[in-house]
Amino acid sequence: MKKVNKIVSLTLATVMATLVLQSCGAEGNHPGYEFMPNMYRSAYYDTYTENPIFENGITSQLPVQGTIPRGFVPFEYENTLEDYLKAGRALKNPIALNDKVLDEGKQLYQMFCQHCHGADGDGKGSISHPVYGGIPSYTDEVAPRRTGSSMSELKSGHIFHALTYGLNAMGPHASQLSKEERWKIVHYVHELQKGSN
Amino acid sequence: MTSQHCKSNGRKRLSLFALLFFTTIQLGFAQSIELGEELFSSNCASCHYLGPESKKLIGPGLADHTLEEYTTEWLYSWIRNSAELIASGDEAAIAVYEEYNKSAMPAFPYFSDEDLDNVLAYIEQGPAEVVVDVAEVGVDGEASATSNTMVVLVAALVMLLLFAFVLARIKNVLKEIKGQETSSLLESALIWLKQTPIVIALFCIFMLLYALGGAWDGLLTVGVQKGYQPEQPIAFSHKIHAGENGVDCNYCHSGARHSKSAGVPSANVCMNCHTYIAGESESGKEEIAKIYDAIGFDPESRTYIEGYEQKPIEWIRVHNLPDLAYFNHSQHVNVAGVECQTCHGPIEEMEVVEQYSSLTMGWCIDCHREHKVDTANAYYHDLSENWVEKYHGEDISVDKIGGLECGKCHY
Repeated sequence: MKKVNKIVSLTLATVMATLVLQSCGAEGNHPGYEFMPNMYRSAYYDTYTENPIFENGITSQLPVQGTIPRGFVPFEYENTLEDYLKAGRALKNPIALNDKVLDEGKQLYQMFCQHCHGADGDGKGSISHPVYGGIPSYTDEVAPRRTGSSMSELKSGHIFHALTYGLNAMGPHASQLSKEERWKIVHYVHELQKGSN
Repeated sequence: MTSQHCKSNGRKRLSLFALLFFTTIQLGFAQSIELGEELFSSNCASCHYLGPESKKLIGPGLADHTLEEYTTEWLYSWIRNSAELIASGDEAAIAVYEEYNKSAMPAFPYFSDEDLDNVLAYIEQGPAEVVVDVAEVGVDGEASATSNTMVVLVAALVMLLLFAFVLARIKNVLKEIKGQETSSLLESALIWLKQTPIVIALFCIFMLLYALGGAWDGLLTVGVQKGYQPEQPIAFSHKIHAGENGVDCNYCHSGARHSKSAGVPSANVCMNCHTYIAGESESGKEEIAKIYDAIGFDPESRTYIEGYEQKPIEWIRVHNLPDLAYFNHSQHVNVAGVECQTCHGPIEEMEVVEQYSSLTMGWCIDCHREHKVDTANAYYHDLSENWVEKYHGEDISVDKIGGLECGKCHY
C-alpha cells in the first residue's frame, strides 16, 4: 500500500509539472516562452520595427524628396486625362513580345488583375463588391471609353498609364509592380482584347 | 336566356381583358427594373453608388432623389454624351463637371430610350437590400460542428453509465433472490478498488507516462511559436480578402517574389480598393476607418487631408525567425514554386492569422529532404545537367544540391 501511495504522489507531481510546461507554448496573444531569447529579438533595427533615431520613430523611412532609386526611370506622363490620352498615342511597349514574356504577363495578370477583371478579361472577377461589379470587358467593341475608342481598342500606352496611376475605381499599381512587369501585363491584356482565350 | 348568357359572356371577356392588361403592365414593370438593374450593375455601378446613403464614388451617389432636379430629357442627353452637353454650355452639366474634378463620364450613345427608362426606373426604386453577415454565418457553422462532436461524446458517456447502472441493478436483483446483502454501484466499486491496489498502481503508471509525454511535448514548445495568433490593431480578415474575394497573396505581399521578406503592405495598397469600399457592416466600417485614420483620408469627400500627420499601423509580427537563421521568400516562391499555404497553412480561411508551422530547423530540413528540384528551371542554368548526370536521372531533392549545408542558412 505504501508503494501505491508513492506512485500516486509521484503521478500527482508529474501531472502538475506537465500542466506548467504545457503553458510554455504559444496561444492567442501569448507568443510562448523562449529559452535564452536573445536571438529572437534583433539587436539591429528591423524594417518594420520602431526606431528611436528617427524623429517619427519608424525604421522604414520614405526616400529623400527629389531622389530616385538606382536604375529607376521615372514615368514621364502626369496623372491627368490629357496625359492618359497622350500616353495612348505615343507610348510603345519596350519589351519585345515572345511566348515567355506572354506567359509571365499572364502570371502577373493572375496575381494583380484577375480578381477584378476576371480570368478572361470579361470584368467578372471574384470580388463581389458592387463598386467592382461594373468592370468593362476587354473584348467590348461597342461602348466608347474616354479614349474615344472601345475597350478592345485600348492602346498599350492607355493600359500602362492606367496600371501606373489607376483609372476610375482602379487604384495605382506602380508600388506593387515594376515598370517591366507592367509592360508584360500590357502584352497579356492585348492578348485578352482579342478574345481568343 | 340568350341576353343573360351574352351579358355574362361579355363580363367574362371584360374581366379577362382587364386581367391580361394588368398582368402585362405588371410584367412589363418588373422586367424593366430587372433589365435596368442589369444595365446599371454592368455600366454604372463602378462609378455611381446606389444605396441608402448617397455616397460619392467617382461620380455622385444616385439615391436620395439626386436625379429629381433634372428633367428626363436632360438625363437622356447627359448619359448619351455628357461631353457634348458640357461643350454646349449647359449650366447644370458644367456645374456637375466642375464639382467632380472634371472627371468625364464615358458616353453611352448606344443606349436606347427603353434602356435609359429601365436604368432610371431601377435607380428610382433603389437596390433590394440584402445584408448578410458572411463572417458570422461562417463562425456559427464551425461552432455547431464542434458542439456536434461534444453531443456524440456526452451521449456515449450517458449510455455507458446507464449500462453500468442496469448491470448493477441486475446483480442486486439476483442477490436479493438468493437472500444476500445488496450494495450500490459506488459502494461495490470502492470495495473492489480496496481489494485490488494494483488497479490504482496501474492507473497511476498510465497517468504518469501520459503526463511525462505531455511534459516532453511542453518542453519542445519552448521557443517555438506555432499557434501564435495575436490580435492585430486592425481586424484584417484573410478569409474575406484572400478567401471570399479571391485576391492573390502576391497582390498585397508583392515583396514575396522579389525579396527576403514577403512584406506587410503599406496603406496605399489597402487604398487601391478601400478608397471606394468603406465597409458594409458596422464592424467593417470601424476597422476600415482605422486605415483612414492612420493616413488621413476623408471618406466623405474622398480626399487626403492636407498636412495630416500620418501614423503607422502597428501590426504585430506573427512569424519570427531568430537572427541565427536566414530565410528568403523569393527563393522559395520563385525558384522552388512553393505555395504560400505549404508553410503558412490555410491562410485564406483564417479570420485572424495564426502561425501554422513550427518553423523549427527539423521542419525546414524535412521539406528540403522531400521537395523535388525542378531541373528544367532556368534559374539553375546548366548546373541541372550535371546533377541529372550525377544522380543518373533519379529524382533530385533539395538536400542533394546542398539544401542541408549549414552555411546555406547559418552564416
